[in-house]
Amino acid sequence: MMKRRIISIAALLFLALYPVTFGGSSPYHSAIMIVLGIYVILAISLDLLVGFAGQISLGHAAFYAIGAYASGILTVTYNMSPVGAMLVGLSLSGVIAAFIGWSVLKLRGYYLAMATMGLAAITHTLIIGMQSLTGGASGLRDVPPFRIFGISMDSYVHYYYFVWAMVVLVIVCCLAIIRSPMGRTLMAIHSDEAAASTLGINCAFQKTSTFVASSMFASLAGSLYAHYMGFLAPDDFSIFTSVHILVMVFLGGVGTIYGAAFGAMFLKLLPELTHTFQDYELLGNGLILIVVLVFMPKGLWGVITAVGRKLKLTGDAISEGNSE
Amino acid sequence: MDISQIIQFTFSGLTLGSIYALMAVSLSIVYKVSRVISFAQGEFFVFGALTMITLTGIGVWAPLAFALSVLMAALLGSIIEQALIRPVLKTTLGTVITMTIAISLALRGLALLLWGRGSHTSATFSSGEPIRILDAALQIQVLWIVGVTGAALLLIWLFFEKTMLGIAIRASADNPVGASLVGISIRKVNLLAWSWGSGLGAVAGMVVAPLYFLQYGSGVLPMVNGFIAIAISGLKSIPAAVVAGFFLGFVEAYSIGFVSSQFSEVIVFTVLIVVLQIRSKAASGAGFDEKGM
Repeated sequence: MMKRRIISIAALLFLALYPVTFGGSSPYHSAIMIVLGIYVILAISLDLLVGFAGQISLGHAAFYAIGAYASGILTVTYNMSPVGAMLVGLSLSGVIAAFIGWSVLKLRGYYLAMATMGLAAITHTLIIGMQSLTGGASGLRDVPPFRIFGISMDSYVHYYYFVWAMVVLVIVCCLAIIRSPMGRTLMAIHSDEAAASTLGINCAFQKTSTFVASSMFASLAGSLYAHYMGFLAPDDFSIFTSVHILVMVFLGGVGTIYGAAFGAMFLKLLPELTHTFQDYELLGNGLILIVVLVFMPKGLWGVITAVGRKLKLTGDAISEGNSE
Repeated sequence: MDISQIIQFTFSGLTLGSIYALMAVSLSIVYKVSRVISFAQGEFFVFGALTMITLTGIGVWAPLAFALSVLMAALLGSIIEQALIRPVLKTTLGTVITMTIAISLALRGLALLLWGRGSHTSATFSSGEPIRILDAALQIQVLWIVGVTGAALLLIWLFFEKTMLGIAIRASADNPVGASLVGISIRKVNLLAWSWGSGLGAVAGMVVAPLYFLQYGSGVLPMVNGFIAIAISGLKSIPAAVVAGFFLGFVEAYSIGFVSSQFSEVIVFTVLIVVLQIRSKAASGAGFDEKGM
């Protein structure tokens, strides 16, 4: 327990000092970390759905898009405050997710994967199609920087702190959900839905609530992205984005939250380190994922925790979940 | 709306329908035997087409290039089944889906390295002016597409109905335990199903290569539409997959023609979601999702 706290504090300290130490040399380093934070939120929220509720979704990019375009359109066209726009995006995603989740989550396995993929494709096409609202294929320009309590986050360093505060918030929320009775209920559904329902668990309600929570986190990530980029293009929210996020979750390790976060960082940092090999990136990502799936059933994070345990860092200090 | 326009859209419906039918059949052969729906199926479409373009480009006789490309895709498919799918078959469905996604990424990356970012097209299978029917033009290649699709489907029917091997595959699809008890090797059957599926995907790519500009990422759309077709067919049978493929092709062609090309995808996916809704009510828990999560 003690060591677990030390590691958490060390991680937070690193995040707090990053802009003045490693990131200090150029704003570029803070910028990378902002994108990283956004993807960490996306991966963690998908892990909540995939790893804990056991629902495969290829529609995560749809809610990412709804958040981003809600923030973008409301602040650019309607001059709304960024906080207000973000809240509208969150509520919109929540309502849409509740509506869709109620019907789609009755499906299982491949059918669910296809239906959610359809959701992502429809959203993507609608963004391109509704040109007057979204700017269509040429994109939505001039999204202002985020502003809260009269402070405008126009420097990368400011925004870095804001985004990572949100990341920490999302991690805390997800861990709280998992450790609550609801989390245990979800795991029961995951391992055997029929058995869970004989215990009086309302599976449809539980799965839909998780879908709503997961989608709202994705929407939050979208809003953060809109104010970071200042420019939204439909292709940032295609089926490939959904696939990319799913890959992050499985690469890091399913059902651990930290694993998904690690997977996101790994997949986003890799091209930064090797960007001379741009054409090899696709092949490389595929091969890495294949190796992980075949040889590391618990993902890269599973390997790290195993190594940590070997080094007497005690397994439950870093591995999540069963420690209390 | 005049009649020649309707005829014209029907021709493009036939073209799209043939592709989707072939993709749907290739996906369902693999699914029936190994209970895996491969997200990498579109990559065989690309590999088939681009291999044939490369081979004919260096002067290989076109029919030979066609056959070699099919063989290459079939071989690639069976290697993938052996080396990559088998190790994860006993894990969760999520892992299997992600594995096929990983294979798809790797193959797409390989195609990018082999053929670059540019687009490629091939010569039509035979030369000749388009046939005019009223004001609609029917390209000769469309006849080839429909003809080859028909021939491929006939071949599949003969194989699965008339040959011992085909019957063995069907037996193990229906009842794996029973089939292995009478001495059918599930391992070999799986391998065979994957090579059939991959070969068919390549055929789909090759027949449409003269009509489209294809590049390393072109496999995604045919795969997605093949998915939708088998979802509509409910994976009951291969004929149902064929019908669903053509149905989807016509829905797409007419919605491009009569509504708008921008929203045809929305219409197609809405059809999918509605069909899935009906299906989930009609037979909850049966068939498709027996592997569960």
